[in-house]
Amino acid sequence: MPADSLIDPESSARVGTVAATATGEVDRRDWQRWAAAVGDHNPLWFDADYARAHGYRDAICPPLYLQYSVLGVTALADLRPDGSSGAVSGGLAFPKAPRRMAGGESTTFHLPAYHRDEISMVRTIESIDEKQGRSGKFVLVTWHTVYHNQHRELVAEARTSMIARR
Amino acid sequence: MQQLLYDEVEAGDEVPPLVVTVDETQMFFFSAATYNGHRIHYDKEWARDREGYDDVLVQGPLQAALLARALTDWIGGAGRLVTFSVQNRAIALPGQPLRFGGTVTGKRLADGVGLVDLDIAARRGDTVLMPGTATVALPLRAPHL
Repeated sequence: MPADSLIDPESSARVGTVAATATGEVDRRDWQRWAAAVGDHNPLWFDADYARAHGYRDAICPPLYLQYSVLGVTALADLRPDGSSGAVSGGLAFPKAPRRMAGGESTTFHLPAYHRDEISMVRTIESIDEKQGRSGKFVLVTWHTVYHNQHRELVAEARTSMIARR
Repeated sequence: MQQLLYDEVEAGDEVPPLVVTVDETQMFFFSAATYNGHRIHYDKEWARDREGYDDVLVQGPLQAALLARALTDWIGGAGRLVTFSVQNRAIALPGQPLRFGGTVTGKRLADGVGLVDLDIAARRGDTVLMPGTATVALPLRAPHL
């Protein structure tokens, strides 16, 4: 690895390993607050009768909300200077590339999630690469994440990426 | 609202666009709902002086959620979002009108399920902020309600 690399050996060694695991309960009020913040008033998320008429057993969690159902708790003293918790990325940090931005996300949804489902997330670091962009070098981190429910059914799987720049 | 059916969709069809101008109140509630403490979304001094932006930034996941909303509104209660894939390409600031939509690129039957593939995007004017692809499942016939 070149001396001017943005990626430190400690981060590099974590490729292929589990970056984070988390469990959480899917909560109807929480997903409905999220949907309201999006302005998304789809009756599938709010109206159990409507959802039942469409083949579900109850109102369902909006697919894109699932990822937030496993978020834990971070003490204020443990936040990074930029206010983020770092929990989702498994504490990966690049001191030479401190400015972080979400890259992209690609998710396949297999099953609906319901109120009080217990979701387990396992996030593996798939790759950490240095790239050359228009405004200089950056680090691209890719994770693969699986979400299972309490019945050990695969609810969703996602590939997400993050960009870290100087 | 009439349920959209697989047979009614053809390549080239447009998802009815959703136009949203995100303001700081919506950003606050979205950060709260996603437990997101990142200063770049609420601390103007941090966003300007430390990260070099003109203002706080609209959360990428909020853009993604609005894009998914455009899709799930279109496919109706009997439709299902199967895959959703987006890239964050450009930033958006509060107060800017953003447009969320998509175009059908193809459709196929897989194990009796009607799948429709789309190119999707969040745009500000002609600028693509968040391009991506999605696959949705649509019913082959109207559900019995």
